[in-house]
Amino acid sequence: MSFPNPAASVKLVLLGEAAVGKSSLVLRFVLNDFQENKEPTIGAAFLTQKCTIGERTIKYEIWDTAGQERFASLAPMYYRNAQAALVVYDITKPASFIKARHWVKELHEQASKDITIALVGNKYDLVENDNDDNEESLRKVSIEEGQGLADEEGLLFFETSAKTAHNVNDVFIGIGSKIPDTSASSSSNNASNGPNHEGGRIDLSSGNSSSQPSDSVH
Amino acid sequence: MATISTYLRNFKEPSKDQLTQLFFAIPETPPTIGKADKDEEPERMEISAVLTLSQDASEDPYPGKLYLLPPYLSFASLDRKSVRFTIPLCTIRRVERLNARAGIYALSLSLWHGMKIVVQLTSLRPTADLFCALLRDALKAELQRGQMKAVKGFVKTCYSEMLVSNTEEGKDAAAHKAEADVADPDSIYLGGLGLKFKYPGDPKKLREASKTKLWTTYLKTHGRNLTLLRYPQCTRLVQVGLPNRLRGEMWETLSGSAYLRFSNPGLFERILKENEGRTSTSTEEIEKDLHRSLPEYSAYQSEDGIGALRRVLQAYSFRNPETGYCQAMNILAAAILIYTSEEQAFWLLEVVCDRLLPGYYSPSMHGTLLDQRVFESLVHRCLPVIHDHFTQVDVQLSVASLPWFLSLFINSMPMVFAFRIIDCFFCMGPKVLFQVALAILKINGEKLLQIQDDGGFIHLMREYFSSLGESAHPKSQDPRARAITRFQELLLVSFREFSVITDDTILNERRKFRSEIVTSIESFSKRSAIRNLKTLERFTKDQAGLIYDALFKAVCIEPPPVAPLPPVALLTTKDGTEERPETRIELKTFKVFLSEVCAWARAEKIVSNGFQQRVDREVAEHELIDRLFFFWDTSFRGALSFQDLVSGLNGVMFNDLMENIEWFFNLHDKNKDGYLTKDEVLTLSESLLFIFRYEIGDAYLGAVSRFMSNAFEYGDALLPRPESSDGDGDIPHIESNQPYMNLATFRMVVLADEILESFFETDFSGTFRLEPVPMMEIPNSNQGLLGGLWHNLVSDDNRKIFQKVTDEIGKTIGKHQVLYRPAIGKFTTLEEPKARESLLTPTMRRSASKASLDASESTPDVSTPPTVPTLSTSSSHLTVDQPGPASAISPSEFSPMPSMFQAAANAAALMERTPFAIDDAKDDDEESDDGSELADDGVMDEVDAFLEAHDSGLTEAERELAKDLINAEPVK
Repeated sequence: MSFPNPAASVKLVLLGEAAVGKSSLVLRFVLNDFQENKEPTIGAAFLTQKCTIGERTIKYEIWDTAGQERFASLAPMYYRNAQAALVVYDITKPASFIKARHWVKELHEQASKDITIALVGNKYDLVENDNDDNEESLRKVSIEEGQGLADEEGLLFFETSAKTAHNVNDVFIGIGSKIPDTSASSSSNNASNGPNHEGGRIDLSSGNSSSQPSDSVH
Repeated sequence: MATISTYLRNFKEPSKDQLTQLFFAIPETPPTIGKADKDEEPERMEISAVLTLSQDASEDPYPGKLYLLPPYLSFASLDRKSVRFTIPLCTIRRVERLNARAGIYALSLSLWHGMKIVVQLTSLRPTADLFCALLRDALKAELQRGQMKAVKGFVKTCYSEMLVSNTEEGKDAAAHKAEADVADPDSIYLGGLGLKFKYPGDPKKLREASKTKLWTTYLKTHGRNLTLLRYPQCTRLVQVGLPNRLRGEMWETLSGSAYLRFSNPGLFERILKENEGRTSTSTEEIEKDLHRSLPEYSAYQSEDGIGALRRVLQAYSFRNPETGYCQAMNILAAAILIYTSEEQAFWLLEVVCDRLLPGYYSPSMHGTLLDQRVFESLVHRCLPVIHDHFTQVDVQLSVASLPWFLSLFINSMPMVFAFRIIDCFFCMGPKVLFQVALAILKINGEKLLQIQDDGGFIHLMREYFSSLGESAHPKSQDPRARAITRFQELLLVSFREFSVITDDTILNERRKFRSEIVTSIESFSKRSAIRNLKTLERFTKDQAGLIYDALFKAVCIEPPPVAPLPPVALLTTKDGTEERPETRIELKTFKVFLSEVCAWARAEKIVSNGFQQRVDREVAEHELIDRLFFFWDTSFRGALSFQDLVSGLNGVMFNDLMENIEWFFNLHDKNKDGYLTKDEVLTLSESLLFIFRYEIGDAYLGAVSRFMSNAFEYGDALLPRPESSDGDGDIPHIESNQPYMNLATFRMVVLADEILESFFETDFSGTFRLEPVPMMEIPNSNQGLLGGLWHNLVSDDNRKIFQKVTDEIGKTIGKHQVLYRPAIGKFTTLEEPKARESLLTPTMRRSASKASLDASESTPDVSTPPTVPTLSTSSSHLTVDQPGPASAISPSEFSPMPSMFQAAANAAALMERTPFAIDDAKDDDEESDDGSELADDGVMDEVDAFLEAHDSGLTEAERELAKDLINAEPVK
């Protein structure tokens, strides 16, 4: 296997309705940069994080965009030239899923052709302890709906919790493995939301065990 | 995006009067109290004058212009920047005409704070007399309004009063005294969270004490708060940084928000009270951001700060529901609140959002986008090398610069430095943001040429901002040079090297790029409106785009009323929040919309009056259109959304014969019971007649009359009869509003008639057409007596007047005539069509005649091709003397293409959009009055600032004269 560019930069943009947890996801992923992100998001916050997948290192340049509706018209500035995008919704808020659908359409229409998109249903922690008998579930968007949209549009799909770190790193590993110019690992990694890491490791320098993905509970 | 905003379209460049008003920061609508005053708008006037300040001999006299803008009096020196003031008339205590040398006309004004200024009116005597008369009237009006009393209460809220009164009591160390005064119950001056939670920065490092002292001296002699006279020292003192305690008040005074607070006492509290408990999208968004606004400042970790921030942002969103709340306003408000009371912050926020940075925080954020474009253009002009490099590596400036402008650098650099920039921003206006931003790029020029991507750019900027406190020349031998911080260097470069960026530069650049920005925003909202549709139905995206265009045009022509906020009491929905705003059009706008897409919903006509011929297109009025509106209003809201229109059109545009018949039936079946009443049958017939109103010949008229007789015949025949009288007994009596005819019967009646059958089969759906239809063509526009003159009438208003006049004349000389375009246009002659002719497909009809093929190629519309025969009648009367369509015109008299092109161009000019003022505006005065004004930026040295001489542009003799006036005696 050949790795022509061991620390290739990948421009990644986060899109989604306000308060679905875009910034929290990034915070979880880039934990060692926590202080820096305390600034409120105006337009978009910019963060970087390295991520090692197998023998390859990817340097993510993350644009965490403002979720307020009126900032939507600024989004093209940030997803321009992006190689990857996370479209985030809140699994307890159906409206945010509709908005996610719009973002996916917009990206397909306007962003670069070979962009890798991951659909992320966040706030998994709110429904984690649901069992089938429980009718009062907070979940409003089913896994099937999310997976359905992902299949329809050719996206990676994850359900995550930025709060418990569930699946968060898998998102970035999944994306990294799917970035087109890597011939090596893209075939084996797919959009499954299971706990499989495929040998991927997250390069988080500070000892933050909490950010390691927990086993998924379905 | 569910709302359609025509704000951008309707933007008008401010008039000269408005610009003056903006320059002097005078509130937009001076509060007119009482209805009687309404018809007597106080008169405005400007006059040349020389201003002298009588107490302070160190100030030179300045020539300039004095403006009476009731209820304010303003002055600006000739260069519009050295000296200026805006004072409420009610702060003028006394005006005296001075008894000076002959030929000199001078007034002495005593102001509230005891200063005396002398203005020498240098215009001709009658002009000066008029000015004095107007000034007297305006002052009287203010006296009657009792405004003079309001001043006293207002100035008490200002910290400057205490500062000055302390020194007047002979206490030299005003600053120290002020420190001790916080707990003094008598002082009611307003202050910000900083009073309790400390101000950012080290007071010693900021040289608070000496700054306060300098300001105290200045405010004592040059007036303060409402009566502040801005001489060059004022600007310089602002440039070295305002002292913390005075900062809020000076922001208020310099930006003019003080005038708003002064003229709207108690409004802030009232807004909060009236809207108590109300929640909206804005209030929800505000809640989310309260804890993300300057979280490092201690006040925003407690309810003191959070509560204040909440009240200010909410009050603003209630007062300006269209803007509501935009992220970044939280940061701005949080910063302002450190130095001001809530009420002061509220008014400052209003001035920033509405006047200083217009459109920055609006739902489309067009102001932000526009200024980013302007900034890019300025970089291109001032720093071409950097601009080229950025283009080369494909990095957009905005990724870094957008937050600079949007949150006034508060979010980008350490707060103490950001506040210094904000000081200058409030004093000198928005150009400061551009000057500083350019200076940042210039100072980092070499490093910027190394960056390769967005990330590198952002990192470089972050590094630079975090080093602003360090020495700019750490290796210099000269200790003075070593002491200069990078921030001081930044301001120096901003104001010295980029003084070429003036208010006019910004205005011109904004004018240049406005339409570009508007187009891109509008196409973005169009895209997202289409994307946000729940369903496209059977339309393609492009077709939905055409529907959107028609809707947008209709909203421009006939704006839907702004929905007023419902009273709080009614807001007890499940989650207590108001619905997301969505543009819905009412009947009035719907009529315009329908006229865009439906041939029978408009009246298009050629008017000839002997002087000219023209094409008019008007919105039709008929009960059928109202009926359609309510038919499409499936959610019974009395208003239609974009989705309603798409679904509605879907229901009629793709129908075949049977579907069309059923659709038409349902449209007229008001109670949806599956039966038409007799009344409804009549209404339906009227609808048909309305659709057919401009068709040529009697064919349709005949068809409708046959329809009516058939309808009632079949209808009666099929009525259920009483058992007793079977056979051909009496027709049972039925009320006109009772169920009478079902769909099957209706279908039968329609299909009995060939013309109606063909109408429902293709023609009816064909009357709907999404592509814009060009106007009818006029064979030769120079035919009329005034043909050539027509093209010289540029403005729409002129045209209307001209048309009216020529119509009137045409009527009196018997030459006025009007020809309507038919909605279907199938029959082109008065002859009855032969059997089955109406069933010919459009292409077959077209190929019948070469001439009409030409015409229909340029209007590729099945429903409206042959305007030709109507045109051929225009020279005589409404009789058609040509037998058939083929010979209606000979190619030699009339070539369709050029005039069609012209007609389309005319149509575009008249219909497409209201022309922007900027389209015509010239930008050739960009770099007009620069270079000569480089003399005034002594940022670095506070002492120098006071010593620098200022050339006021007066000769020595004039200066003497002006000084003499100070001691002159008033005239009796």
